[in-house]
Amino acid sequence: MGVLRVGLCPGLTQEMIQLLRGAGIKTVVDLVSADLEEVSRKCSLSYKALVAVRRVLLVQFSSFPFNGADLYEELKTSTAILSTGMARLDKLLDSGLYTGEVTEITGAPASGKTQVCLCTAANVAHSLGQNVLYIDSTGGLTASRLLQLLQAKTEDEEEQARALQSIHVVRVFDIFQMLDMLQDLRGSISQQVTSASGPVKIVVVDSVSAVVSPLLGGQYSEGLALMMQLARELKTLARELGIAVLVTNHVTRERDSGVLKPALGRSWSFVPSTRVLLEAREGSQVPHGCRVASLTKSPRQPTGIQEVVEIGSWGTPELSPSLERNKP
Amino acid sequence: MGTSRFPPSIWGGDRKRSAEPLSQLLLRLMSLRGRGLWFRRPERIPDAWAGSGSPTSPSPRAVELLFAAMQRHLGSYPLSPGVRVKLVSAGFQTAEELLELKPSELSREVGISKEEALETLQIIKRECPVDLSRFASVSISGKKYTALELLEQEHTQGFIITFCSALDNIMGGGIPLTKTTEICGAPGVGKTQLCMQLAVDVQIPECFGGVAGEAIFLDTEGSFMVDRVADLATACVQHLHLIAGSHLEEEHQKALENFSLESILSHIYYFRCHNYTELLAQVHLLPDFLLEHSKVQLIIVDGIAFPFRHDFDDLSLRTRLLNGLAQQLISMANNHKLAVIWTNQMTTKIDKNQSMLVPALGESWGHAATIRLILHWDQKQSRLATLHKSPSQKEATVLFDITAQGFRDVVVPSPLSPPVEPSGNPRKRSRDGREEE
Repeated sequence: MGVLRVGLCPGLTQEMIQLLRGAGIKTVVDLVSADLEEVSRKCSLSYKALVAVRRVLLVQFSSFPFNGADLYEELKTSTAILSTGMARLDKLLDSGLYTGEVTEITGAPASGKTQVCLCTAANVAHSLGQNVLYIDSTGGLTASRLLQLLQAKTEDEEEQARALQSIHVVRVFDIFQMLDMLQDLRGSISQQVTSASGPVKIVVVDSVSAVVSPLLGGQYSEGLALMMQLARELKTLARELGIAVLVTNHVTRERDSGVLKPALGRSWSFVPSTRVLLEAREGSQVPHGCRVASLTKSPRQPTGIQEVVEIGSWGTPELSPSLERNKP
Repeated sequence: MGTSRFPPSIWGGDRKRSAEPLSQLLLRLMSLRGRGLWFRRPERIPDAWAGSGSPTSPSPRAVELLFAAMQRHLGSYPLSPGVRVKLVSAGFQTAEELLELKPSELSREVGISKEEALETLQIIKRECPVDLSRFASVSISGKKYTALELLEQEHTQGFIITFCSALDNIMGGGIPLTKTTEICGAPGVGKTQLCMQLAVDVQIPECFGGVAGEAIFLDTEGSFMVDRVADLATACVQHLHLIAGSHLEEEHQKALENFSLESILSHIYYFRCHNYTELLAQVHLLPDFLLEHSKVQLIIVDGIAFPFRHDFDDLSLRTRLLNGLAQQLISMANNHKLAVIWTNQMTTKIDKNQSMLVPALGESWGHAATIRLILHWDQKQSRLATLHKSPSQKEATVLFDITAQGFRDVVVPSPLSPPVEPSGNPRKRSRDGREEE
């Protein structure tokens, strides 16, 4: 709801705006919520003109309610499920990452969050053939590791090169750069400036807390506001452009109980619709190099279910089928 | 209506007042709404707008900005708080409203000076890079690469070797450039020795497998000993001379002409920081230093934990400062293609009646470094290095040793050779009194 400007709607002239400003009405919200009889008396404007302008502004700026059946139809046609490439993790996520939603992976250092992101990016680029945007803020992306993952899937170098070309990487280390980056993405998609293989279907942000945690806490509430700006950008990106968003988050330890909880606080906990916690648990059931993934928040599955995921290779210790066939 | 869903006049494309009466306009708008066309995000720009730079329709860049910036709240731009408060109280909320204004109009309406108005509009339009004094790095890191291009870059990138081949192997070749590495360990295990070794090794010429760069050493604990570095440098020069002697090519001999004790010591830039304020200030000033000394390939912070562990009452401030520091360092590593190393202390964690040593500075600091190396002792008093966290290498543990020549592999002594000398650093006493043998 912005400032009243000439041309916002046909009935609004410059003199009208000046008179309204004199009465203290500067924005659309002010005009729509003001008592128009009083305003017309104070500014000596016609009451009918003010009512007409208000109606046009309401039409222009209010949102349009959706029918539930239409919403369901739209969701059915526009939602896609992207597999992460790790079968056990897919089971946890109810067959994969849903477009239109934000999914979060949290875990202690060295628990495998970056590996999950890399596996997902490689899988979407190779098996699904879609474009991936990887926003790296920790320096964890190494292209040689992506190549290693792709080599385990296929031996054809052409395919590997094509998959690597569909993964676009941006390195941002600052929240404003990240917001600029997301704005550019939205601009390029709305202009339909697409690369040869199609639009971006998944955005991986590794990690969100690296850019947000320098701002949180302390007297300035700007940090919280910026975090919610980022949250809003990611959610609108997911919802309106039909993209799946995968973010990673850190964990912090609660001072009294010593329990690990995801970082960035309660405000951020409402942003992702699905949350997975990766833990390295020692024990006989969990072989070395494997992590236990638990579902802590989900709109579809019961929380608390767990799966053992191997992060060294593609999630399960068996080889991929194509390599099995090629073995002599 | 044709194919275009959004007739230009409704978006304000032509500012003339429409001739139709308001009621007609209202009916037209309601019918558009009824078709559900009104508030979808524009997927296609109307043809009238897609032209490039003709007088009546804006250029593609402006249109792209407009469509993308339409919903972007002013709070997401790096404006100064005073300016932002004034903009909000004047009623501006999204960037779209500001794009139409000229600086003089903006300064008049909002009540800020003309320079501030100009700067604000520049920030919104992203015409110039953000002022350096506010953020540690210029945003050249916003460039998009494909993974294939990154792969090619990585193939040409070197590693900084440590002279311990086992450690280099588990790290994939050595300390990688463009990444941050953390070295944790108990006191006396060899963190500072490794840092000093790397400050010498970064200068090895390229024909011997090095990166031929210079080093910056930020010392907070005061454990940097110049005579020890001189020993390490002399040993390195001798080692390279031996290698060059076995090669017949000229370039090895030529490269060694400039590689001497004096040149090595003169290319290590040493800064002493006595508290956390000095450390933060020094890191803040490093980008300017790096612009003048472009050959720097390594930044070492020896003792990042020390200034932050004593007398720090406000723990949330500490977390904030540390995270900001980590982000500054990784962005410097990325922009200038250098390696950043810092050393961390260990602290005791008591968990279910068991105590174990974990790296200091808390759980959140563990996420700061890209690669984490933990140095520790085992029961037989030999030194081990564990690669605890790495995005591209597996977890592994190797043995290493610190000799008079520096950081080396463990050499299994033959029965006839004399026992291995203890560490040459005069400050650290040998752990089990081997000199008494």
